Amino acid sequence: DTWRYAFEEALEEVQGKFAQKFKEEVEANSDHSVQLFPFGTLGESDSILEQTQSGILQFVDQSPGFTGALIPEAQVFFVPYLLPQDEETLATFFEESKAINEMFPPLYAEQGLELLTMFPEGEVMMTTTEPVEGPADLNEVKFRVMTNPLLVESYQAFGATPTPLPWGEVYGALQTGIIQGQENPAFFIESTKMYEVTDHITRAGHNNFTTAVMANKEFYDGLSDEDRTVVDNAIDVAFDYIIDYQDGLTEESLEKIKEAKPSMTITTLTEEQRQPFMDTADSVEQEFLEIGGDQAQAILDQLKADLEAVSSQ
Amino acid sequence: MRSEQQDHEKVDPDVLARAQAPALDEDDIDDSKYVSGLPGVLGVVDVAIARIEAILLAVGVLAMAVNTMANVVGRFMLGQSLFFSEEVNRALIILITFAGISYAARHGRHIRMSAFFDIMPPPMRKLLMIVIALVTAAAMFLLTWYSVDYVLAQASRGRLLPALQVPVWWIIVWAPLGFFLTGLQYALTAIKNMIHKDIWLSTSTLEGYDDTPAEEV
Amino acid sequence: MALAIFSVMIVLLLLGFPMMVPLIAGSLIGFVSLFGGVGQLDTMVQQILGGIQPASLIAVPMFIFAADIMTRGQSANRLIDLVMAFVGHLKGGLAVSTATACTLFGAVSGSTQATVVAVGGPLRPRMLKAGYKDSFVLALVVNSSDIAFLIPPSIGMIIYGVVSGTSISELFIAGIGPGLLILVMFSIYSYIYAIRHNVPTEPKTSWRDRAGAIQRALWPLGFPVIIVGGIYGGVFSPTEAAAACVLYALLLEMVVFREMSLKELYSTAKSTGLITAVVFILVGAGAAFSYVISFAQIPQQILGGIGIDDMGQYGVLFTISIAFFVGCMFVDPIVVILILVPIFAPVVDSVGLDPVLVGTIITLQVAIGSATPPFGCDIFTAIAVFKRPYTEVVRGTPPFILMLLTVAVLLIFFPQIALFLRDLAFDK
Ligand code: NA
Ligand code: NA
Repeated sequence: DTWRYAFEEALEEVQGKFAQKFKEEVEANSDHSVQLFPFGTLGESDSILEQTQSGILQFVDQSPGFTGALIPEAQVFFVPYLLPQDEETLATFFEESKAINEMFPPLYAEQGLELLTMFPEGEVMMTTTEPVEGPADLNEVKFRVMTNPLLVESYQAFGATPTPLPWGEVYGALQTGIIQGQENPAFFIESTKMYEVTDHITRAGHNNFTTAVMANKEFYDGLSDEDRTVVDNAIDVAFDYIIDYQDGLTEESLEKIKEAKPSMTITTLTEEQRQPFMDTADSVEQEFLEIGGDQAQAILDQLKADLEAVSSQ
Repeated sequence: MRSEQQDHEKVDPDVLARAQAPALDEDDIDDSKYVSGLPGVLGVVDVAIARIEAILLAVGVLAMAVNTMANVVGRFMLGQSLFFSEEVNRALIILITFAGISYAARHGRHIRMSAFFDIMPPPMRKLLMIVIALVTAAAMFLLTWYSVDYVLAQASRGRLLPALQVPVWWIIVWAPLGFFLTGLQYALTAIKNMIHKDIWLSTSTLEGYDDTPAEEV
Repeated sequence: MALAIFSVMIVLLLLGFPMMVPLIAGSLIGFVSLFGGVGQLDTMVQQILGGIQPASLIAVPMFIFAADIMTRGQSANRLIDLVMAFVGHLKGGLAVSTATACTLFGAVSGSTQATVVAVGGPLRPRMLKAGYKDSFVLALVVNSSDIAFLIPPSIGMIIYGVVSGTSISELFIAGIGPGLLILVMFSIYSYIYAIRHNVPTEPKTSWRDRAGAIQRALWPLGFPVIIVGGIYGGVFSPTEAAAACVLYALLLEMVVFREMSLKELYSTAKSTGLITAVVFILVGAGAAFSYVISFAQIPQQILGGIGIDDMGQYGVLFTISIAFFVGCMFVDPIVVILILVPIFAPVVDSVGLDPVLVGTIITLQVAIGSATPPFGCDIFTAIAVFKRPYTEVVRGTPPFILMLLTVAVLLIFFPQIALFLRDLAFDK
């Protein structure tokens, strides 16, 4: 059969790389073929998720933050400082976390989706027109965030003026000065050229952009055992591949940025500098507990326990 | 060659008059003069719906301007963006579009290419107008059906607008309504063409009333 | 399947169906044949709704509204009087001013549809009065508005930059050369047109009268300040600038000039809503149609069969040009860029083409395709706003398309038209 797989990024970005690997594996180990649909070609992020729910698409990659409109608990990934800040621990965390591997799948299943895997896409960094060393430097800075109450709350707590803006307008708005900052993983800052219109990159370690691959549940349940194994194995191979691929991707992207724009400063905040940012996480947690659905508390607690567990390893 | 050029220099006075017409005149639709295609009580209801559509259009556009500006004011004066303002605009554009397609159908304002239509002999035009109205009505009713489907699916999935935290189906419920009322207008137009003389672009618009240019062909 | 769909659409279009019907029919046939029945038609509704919701489209009704208020009141006339005081005595002066205004407004607002309304709305009556033929005026407005694709900020270039990984700043600068070249060609054509059709000129205005015109236009000159100053000054996004224009126009017409009553405000808002609706339902139906094309991977099938890998640089550039031109005749430009750029990316790379040049050529083709019948948002907008028949709106188009295609060919053989400024700015 022909299986269709849509994602939120371009073919050569992280989600696209994962999808390409998945396609390669499936096609090598079965008679099925996989068609890939990069961002925008079948509609916006929400649209491709709905198409997967109704069975037009078999596979979809949507970041849990966006899925939050459907599964409120998934917004937990927007709570700052909940994920390990160091890359190696992070991969283990995704493989071992009870919240991710046991608590989320039933929530997705209720929406007709089989959660196949979640994986990190890279540390979220701020790019700004003025240097940032602490919350005081964000005071009155109009900072573009995605339309999500938790991100808005986060940046408000950081002291900035969170400004929602459609993605297509961000580049122009940074150029003309409507906004003075935005956040994204390094590869995305590089590929979308955000560095051309900002001057400083700040690594506060507050988050790692997480994404999830899902299948239409009815389709997945209806697969023969053999086919299901092909899918599961392809996901596993692609997961290992993407963790490997990202090892160094952040540094590589930052190097490319430096090369294209030598004047760009890249600052990694120290533990002490991060502390005031970390202190604001409480207010965001409160907001999450309010809007995060029935299992918000349980998921938050479990994620914290999971974090504890991998950190002590 | 020479005469053709002189022809070009002359401005069609009609075109000029229409283009220059300032403010409210024939270009604006006077809702108080609207006559429904439906008889009796249904007609009264229909006229009321037409009025509501008109009001929704006007209020929707004004609200959009105010909402967009409020966001700017919030950002500069209060240091706080209205992060739901984008979603309010989404809701308004859907409302305007679907109130408007029905209103446009009432007044024969949908965009069409009439060049070949216009050169046909009148009996053919009448027949074609009936076919067009029926097919369009059918398409609208079909979309009504599947947009109800879509609204119900959204309602059952419980998708929320991220900033406003209200169900998405609240803002798209205008789609089935708009498609249905538009379909109804085209169906009535077909009937009007069957039982009345002349060729009707909509239940209230006679062909040639607004824009059939002399120079086309 | 593609051929069957296109044929049905063209036939319905020519028979005089409302324009939304061919688009809906095209998507319907696509959905039914792709999914073997009517089971997935709610996704078609989803695409229609998705097509009208992007935040950037909100600028369109806002500029329509502002332009309508200005035109009904005094603002527009006072601004045009000012322009006429300086160019009225020149052959083709008004037409050249219109083309320039469209280019500038489109560049700043980022919306070609808004440009058709905001510039075309007030200027068209004056051009008709001055003796230009309507088909020329309409084609001039639509085509000049599409130059805006090439002049920064250009949403088409941003999308291309992201999808292909090309520097957006370099693309922005590369677009300026071809954009200005087109404006110059349109201006020359306007001048020749004015001479051939003997469009009369007005007597030269004295400096004293010019001063008077400036004084009368002082208040309305706030509009360019809001739009240009507001956007480049970092106060407004284009959409917000549009809304600010609405409020400023209301202030002028209702308070300063006292030209508009509440009742007229209501009528104007209603008429804006109506125009918005008839255009946006086509945008939505067009999105559903694009979905079918994209889902069925029709471009991949067509392009897979022509052996693009064996072509040289010129072959690749011509193929890209034709593919984008044809694509944009039928489908929304943004979707065309999203679908086609990844297909061409490998071959662009392997024959060693400059991605900035390719991006400029693609953006130009997008502009041409958008102004070319049968389908195009700017054409639809012009029909709805000016209430002129479809054929009238597109009839004057051929000379403009011809000029645009000339620039497209020139660009392929003389890439410096685009790259000259880029190389200068980026020291390459
Ligand atoms: Na532009
Ligand atoms: Na077109």
